[in-house]
Amino acid sequence: MNDKTQIAERDQEAIARREGNQPARRMTLMPAVDVFEDSQGITLWADLPGVTKEKLDVKVHDGNLYIEAEAVVPTPAGLRLQHAEIREPRFARAFSLSPDFDTSKIFANLQNGVLKLTIPRRDEARPRQIEVQTN
Amino acid sequence: MSDLYSGTDLFSEFDRLQRQMESLFGGLPSSIRSSRFGAFPQINIGTTDDSIEIVAFAPGVDVAGLDVAIDKGLLTISGERKPAQSDAGDDTRTYAQERFIGAFRRAIELPQNADPDKIQARYTNGCLSISVGKRESSKPKAITVQ
Repeated sequence: MNDKTQIAERDQEAIARREGNQPARRMTLMPAVDVFEDSQGITLWADLPGVTKEKLDVKVHDGNLYIEAEAVVPTPAGLRLQHAEIREPRFARAFSLSPDFDTSKIFANLQNGVLKLTIPRRDEARPRQIEVQTN
Repeated sequence: MSDLYSGTDLFSEFDRLQRQMESLFGGLPSSIRSSRFGAFPQINIGTTDDSIEIVAFAPGVDVAGLDVAIDKGLLTISGERKPAQSDAGDDTRTYAQERFIGAFRRAIELPQNADPDKIQARYTNGCLSISVGKRESSKPKAITVQ
């Protein structure tokens, strides 16, 4: 594990330098997602490990869906990082939504670090069978 | 609907490339047991004076199916993550399938001073936190200069 120490230290410096030059832009991770659609609407699953309800922000703005979150992993005092595959605890990802979705009825559920979003289609946009009449 | 799918992977791809470059030019050998970068779950390791702290980022895993084992200084985390949408009907279309599915196993080589009798593991908010105590003899102590 000793050989990992140097790598971790160098990486942290690199991030700090970048933040110093561009204070406005924070480094974020893009969470992995699954996206499914059926006749009712879209179901989206996003991996947000270490994120609690309080640190999760899901919003719709100008037809775009934004998912922003921050992971909080309790660690003991005096921890020295030796090996890090996740370096930034911030997640962010955005999607554009077509107008046939009812953004007022989005349902969000966070469980064990997985966010489930259901985005229903508007009633008038749902597929329906049109009855053919014969005379 | 193509908006939900296309073009979103560019940054993660770039990130992956960057990490590969780092590992190439970093030049330091990594453990023969460590798998390729991006394996599930991702792991962070840190140490304090008293313990070695390991965090495995494993969201959406059933705790009952999560197995943490230690054998001769090798800590193994294994389990299985099931598909989120198991009841997918015929009319379900998939636009993205990025999340890991299936069985996983990751091994961590603990240093000599790790005490296998002092291990605690907790699973909260999709993170598995493992704390391994260090042997008394290895803890830092001040040496009095005479």
